[in-house]
Amino acid sequence: MIGAISALDFKSIGGSGGVAEGGVAGAGGASPTASFASVLSDMASRTVDTLENAEQVSVKALQGDVDAREVADAVMTAEQTLQAAVAIRDKIISAYMEISRMAI
Amino acid sequence: MEPVNLFQLAAQQSRWLGVRQSAVAGNVANANTPGYGTVDVEPFEKVLDNTAASLKTTQAGHLRGRTTQSGFALSQEDSSKSLLPSENSVVLETEMLKAGEIRRQFELNTAIVKAFHRMIMLSSKG
Amino acid sequence: MDPLAAALKVAASGLSAQSERLRVVSENLANAQSTGETPGADAYRRKTITFSAELDRASGGSLVEIAGINRDRSDFPIEFMPGHEAADEKGFVKMPNVNVLLEMADMSEANRSYEANLQVIKQARDLISMTIDLMRGQ
Repeated sequence: MIGAISALDFKSIGGSGGVAEGGVAGAGGASPTASFASVLSDMASRTVDTLENAEQVSVKALQGDVDAREVADAVMTAEQTLQAAVAIRDKIISAYMEISRMAI
Repeated sequence: MEPVNLFQLAAQQSRWLGVRQSAVAGNVANANTPGYGTVDVEPFEKVLDNTAASLKTTQAGHLRGRTTQSGFALSQEDSSKSLLPSENSVVLETEMLKAGEIRRQFELNTAIVKAFHRMIMLSSKG
Repeated sequence: MDPLAAALKVAASGLSAQSERLRVVSENLANAQSTGETPGADAYRRKTITFSAELDRASGGSLVEIAGINRDRSDFPIEFMPGHEAADEKGFVKMPNVNVLLEMADMSEANRSYEANLQVIKQARDLISMTIDLMRGQ
């Protein structure tokens, strides 16, 4: 789970099947040579999925009887993946800025 | 099915819960008023079904044709069904149960809204 | 008017109605032995209170109001007390038509209703608070 906290630990994110599941690095089956781009798009789609799921569960909860724990879990998962994605996005942007400032 | 806006749905439920709370308040305050019949709002599922149609039309069979300002139909129980000679049909325990339900749904509602608001703010930062 | 604010108003009217009811009960209990002062005079006549529901136009809630405080018109019970100042020529004194047990039962009912109204006020206040809390936070 420590690996999951580090937003830059792409291997564990790509391999353990999700930051929110707190998987130990390498528990999944991703190859260590997964490309940066594929890991990023993986992250993005996972974020969207958890967000959609959270929204669906919440709508169901407002309309009727859903176990409160289910809603809490879905929303927390969504928030976790979103937080990681945002952190990555920020890092990428600052890295790009740094590169663009390098004297040629 | 067209996508439901979460915030709109939550706002609608919040209004409905407010109306229900004031109905419960009226019942509790009038628990000893002769001839008073218990009032309740229509179920939220019915409100959702009616959302397409105009909310302000009253429905037949609702005593006094009362709708609240927000358009939810209220129904009043026939007070002659009560067991008391004063023809009051309010049962305090039932009203307290309703109040508990209202509270639980309201807490869930505000928690969901808060969480999604937080997520939107998070993704918009920087 | 915001329905939660209306709920507060309605519950507040319930509180004051039940308070009034308790006042009437305590008057009856205090005067449960109050006879008249002259021979053959009437004793204390029990007071009764009736409520009515009033639809408040501004808030849309059913307030409870006091329709009236009246006197119980049942007959006075009579006791044989020849030396009493209120004794008639046969020695009978009219006693108040207050049944202490009934009044005590009414008092606990009034307390129960008062508590229930108080709970409604607490809850309505909490719900309003939760709504305002939505705006708080970083």
